[in-house]
Amino acid sequence: MRPLTDAEMKTVLDKLANYMSDLKSLIAPLEDGDRYVFRLNHSRVYYVKLSIANLATSISRDNLLSLGTCLGKMTKTGKFRLHITALPILAQGARHKIWVKENGAQPFLYGSNVVKAHVGRWSEDCPEHQGCVVLSMSDVPLGFGVTARSTAEARRLDPTGIVCFRQADCGEYLRDEDTLFAG
Amino acid sequence: MAPTRTVKNKHAGPKSGGKPGGGKSGGSKTGAGVSKGKGGKKGPIVAQQMKGKPNIAGLDKKKKKKVYTAKELGIPELNMVTPVGVTKPKGKKKGKVFVDDRESMNTILAIVQAEKEGAIESKLIKARQMEEIREARRIEAEKKEAERKAKLEDTKEALRKKRKRDDGKKKGDDDDVNIKEMASAGTKAAKPKSVKKRVSFAAE
Repeated sequence: MRPLTDAEMKTVLDKLANYMSDLKSLIAPLEDGDRYVFRLNHSRVYYVKLSIANLATSISRDNLLSLGTCLGKMTKTGKFRLHITALPILAQGARHKIWVKENGAQPFLYGSNVVKAHVGRWSEDCPEHQGCVVLSMSDVPLGFGVTARSTAEARRLDPTGIVCFRQADCGEYLRDEDTLFAG
Repeated sequence: MAPTRTVKNKHAGPKSGGKPGGGKSGGSKTGAGVSKGKGGKKGPIVAQQMKGKPNIAGLDKKKKKKVYTAKELGIPELNMVTPVGVTKPKGKKKGKVFVDDRESMNTILAIVQAEKEGAIESKLIKARQMEEIREARRIEAEKKEAERKAKLEDTKEALRKKRKRDDGKKKGDDDDVNIKEMASAGTKAAKPKSVKKRVSFAAE
């Protein structure tokens, strides 16, 4: 386990900035004087309290399976992939949101994209190909994706037209159970 | 003694039996003769015979050792993806530089956020401009369509009026003709002749 390098940190924050508007809250100091840090172990990036990260140094890298919140994985080409486990953090400071009706929640959780007919409401002024968090009508985060159309264009779209391309959904906790935390 | 024997035996192997007597018969060979003449002792013989062997082995080794690297041959390197952090400029210290203090993290964060904000803002502006252009085009197209429709309606109206006028004139003419016909043919109106096409074949 090690802290991120300059380039890695930039890549991770760049990806997070697609979905979140306020990144500074991520590393803001906590009330108890602690703060959150990013740590890398087995090419996975974890978002963890500094005190816990310091404690974790007593565990060998091979034996350390996970700590804190796993944000995603660094690929071998130096890119960063967000995992569904990062959803609670993304949902907190989401820049754009899409609320999905009840009839659209299940298809989304089974891995399909969001179509216009399933959208209950969406945030205004959302450009296309921008990261957004998908929520149910009762404000429960279901996953995240990338907008297929801008809000204005999406209004003119037919009901079967795709509004948001899925990137990750909560169904992955079951579908990718084997590979989500290791491998 | 033992090593010389083994060497001799080994030497004898490839030469197929010419060896045992070969000590002196090998006198025909200059090298062997000289060595024997010089020493007459066992030591030099061993040395000579040992010399022969390592030389052969050494040649083989030399041949095998000559392996050229890609750099020596000047072969261009393969196109490969070089991951971030792998390529390092020369003269710099080895190892990774970690970002763990709040200040440097804040700096990176501010840079990233500013970049992202700029990108999103420009995207939004672009989208708005495109939307305006689309709206203007749509309005123009609607206008054109309305004009075309109005023109069509006008033409239709004109045609209708014209037809009405023509009908009125034609009706008047028909009445005159009818009266004239009636006058000439009496009250019995002649049936209009049915025009039927007939085909006749020429008789042979």
